[in-house]
Amino acid sequence: MKLHIAVALAGMAFTGIALAGPTEDLARTCNACHGVNGVSVGPSMPSIGGLPEAHLKNVMLQWKTDERYSATMGRHFKGYTEAELSALATYYSKLPYVPTVQKADDKIMAKGKEATDRCETCHGATGGEPDDAETPKLNGQWAQYLELELMKYRNDAVKMPHKKMRNNAKKLADEDVAAVAEFYAAQPK
Amino acid sequence: MSFNRRDFIKTVASTSVIVPLAACAAPSGGKSGSGKARLVVVGGGFGGATAAKYLKMMDAGLDVTLVERNKQFVSCPLSNEVISGHGKYEGLLAGYDGLMKRGVNVVFDDATAVDPASKSVKLKSGTSLKYDFLVLSPGIDFNYAGIEGYSEALANTTHPHAYKAGPQTLALKKQLEGMKDGQTFVITVPPGPFRCPPGPYERASQVANYFKHHGMNKSKVIIADANDSFSKKGLFEQAWKRHYPGMIEWVAGAAGGKVVKFDAKTNTASSDFNDYKGDVVNIIPPHHAGMIAKSTGLTNDKGWCSVDMLTMESTVHKDIYVVGDSTVHGELPVYGAPKSAHMANTQAKVAVGAIIAKINGVPAPEPFFVNTCYSIAETDWGFSVVHIYRAKEGKLVYDTKAGGISPVNMADESALKMQRKLESEYCIGWFKNIMADAFA
Ligand SMILES: Cc1cc2nc3c(=O)[nH]c(=O)nc-3n(C[C@H](O)[C@H](O)[C@H](O)COP(=O)(O)OP(=O)(O)OC[C@H]3O[C@@H](n4cnc5c(N)ncnc54)[C@H](O)[C@@H]3O)c2cc1C
Ligand code: HEC
Ligand code: HEC
Repeated sequence: MKLHIAVALAGMAFTGIALAGPTEDLARTCNACHGVNGVSVGPSMPSIGGLPEAHLKNVMLQWKTDERYSATMGRHFKGYTEAELSALATYYSKLPYVPTVQKADDKIMAKGKEATDRCETCHGATGGEPDDAETPKLNGQWAQYLELELMKYRNDAVKMPHKKMRNNAKKLADEDVAAVAEFYAAQPK
Repeated sequence: MSFNRRDFIKTVASTSVIVPLAACAAPSGGKSGSGKARLVVVGGGFGGATAAKYLKMMDAGLDVTLVERNKQFVSCPLSNEVISGHGKYEGLLAGYDGLMKRGVNVVFDDATAVDPASKSVKLKSGTSLKYDFLVLSPGIDFNYAGIEGYSEALANTTHPHAYKAGPQTLALKKQLEGMKDGQTFVITVPPGPFRCPPGPYERASQVANYFKHHGMNKSKVIIADANDSFSKKGLFEQAWKRHYPGMIEWVAGAAGGKVVKFDAKTNTASSDFNDYKGDVVNIIPPHHAGMIAKSTGLTNDKGWCSVDMLTMESTVHKDIYVVGDSTVHGELPVYGAPKSAHMANTQAKVAVGAIIAKINGVPAPEPFFVNTCYSIAETDWGFSVVHIYRAKEGKLVYDTKAGGISPVNMADESALKMQRKLESEYCIGWFKNIMADAFA
């Protein structure tokens, strides 16, 4: 028995994720859509590794209880307990945030910068310095994902509970939405 | 292997006993399989490639060999969109360099026999591979005899089924492109279970889409179905009504849709009641588990491999794990356990978890199975079905509070359009990530 424990600990130290417990086993299923370690390689799907814990918990629990609109995710999360979702939020928040820097041309960058003036107080100038733990990072997030997310906030027919964010999204001019998304997506930090 | 893992473990073991046990959740931890367990994976598709990758990712010391007959993998997901011209064939391809870089020994060969007694896999080239644990993910093979008059030779020449993506995908695309307005495209659907339950209906949508956008409004798609219902039926029918009114006709099995015969000369598929004559006839023949699973004796009387629902280990031979399309996963209804790339992915990870636990002499961890099948019926018109399974009292249960199909109706038209647009985009994002999850 003693030997078994020692060996188990050694393996843990060396092999990292091998048999690391239910949260990681569950997180492995997310990789099919969000990438290994929550770093997505599909532009419509968000990277989720390294997002703030409070934000992750908010969205995941709101989906479970149907307080928040989603196209797909809500149907997944009704299958997990609150404790499981909280543990997942903690797990992903501890992974490094890996921005995927997507270059955009100067004109779009200038347009994006101007249109994100009112966003700065909460998201920081580049989307990389959120002012509180409930605000996600936007820098190096996939532009397409951000644009689709803004589309949700701008549509009053679906539930998006964060009123201030919704009001801000609705104030954007139609033609600025894509530029805003590309502006944040281009930021390394 | 330049580094002696066992010595390392001894060293670490003797110095790390001060770490409190509580710091790692039981049954956490695992000794490395280095120099111990030999893993062989047969089939480098969605199930097999994912299994090989995760075996290496979860224990770099394992000796993992992947046997795959083709140097290039061609994805079935999104192949219907290639047929209609919305996607590029190149986008369906993946190679095995990513797995090689991870240290998987990739052997391009055909596995011709498995001997569970001596635990070895025979290859066409003559070599033989010994294994401690075998993962089989050979996908499906076809029972051509199920449709009198249809054959593999026809499939490879004039009448592609295109239900394994590859040259047949391009052949069917070419046939579609050769059609004229007013002509008919017939799709015949075999009795379930078949791979990708929504696949034939997504294909019908994509064919109609091609007609619509090429001024062929008098052309028709007829689906002659051996079954009496189908996956995401309400969603497909809504899409057809909105986007292709009058263009797609579905004939249920009970209404004479079950095709049993095909005459290639007259291009006529027949059930016991009806004849379906088309200008293009796309026969999807009945399937069974991949041949290698069958010849190993792992299949039941219906031609599928039954597995322990919680570990994916074969119920016939121990230390053989079967994942992907070849399996019947528990006693779930046909549409409750779809044969999808996403299922193959999630099953592969569960099998890997169970195998590594076994190597380490600990109980298999709680398995998590998730499935999502997206379909695209028209540009900006996608939808999905989600399945979440939980292990309850040693059985796999489909959680009916979770999962289900995308909403068919929504109170607001703009919300409905947004929902469909989002899922058509998420479908592509899913595809990129799941391909990377298997091959990168
Ligand atoms: C038109 C169509 C559309 C689809 N769309 C979707 C979709 O949108 N979403 C989704 O989730 N699923 C979809 N699917 C289903 C999906 O393709 C399958 O469920 C998935 O490929 C199953 O994975 P697998 O590993 O079991 O088999 P496969 O991916 O077919 O892999 C089997 C591999 O094993 C190899 N092999 C077999 N036997 C041997 C042998 N003896 N020796 C060596 N190599 C061997 C084969 O060459 C192949 O590479 C679709 C299927 C079709 C036909
Ligand atoms: C079938 C693909 C799929 C799987 C599997 C999946 N997700 Fe998602 N995820 C999505 C989609 C699509 C969205 C966008 C929201 C929506 O559904 O409209 C999303 C969004 C999210 C977000 C919001 C990110 C943000 O920036 O606000 C989080 C958090 C998340 N998913 C967590 C997870 C976790 C954790 C898992 C695994 C338990 C998981 N997802 C599994 C498809 C998936
Ligand atoms: C009052 C603070 C505040 C302001 C101002 C603000 N946001 Fe946000 N933003 C948030 C918060 C908080 C969230 C997460 C909200 C939620 O849970 O829905 C968020 C979420 C987002 C998201 C979704 C990211 C993801 O990962 O899902 C985008 C995109 C976004 N904001 C863009 C903007 C833009 C563009 C502006 C300016 C037009 C803006 N925000 C202004 C606080 C703010």
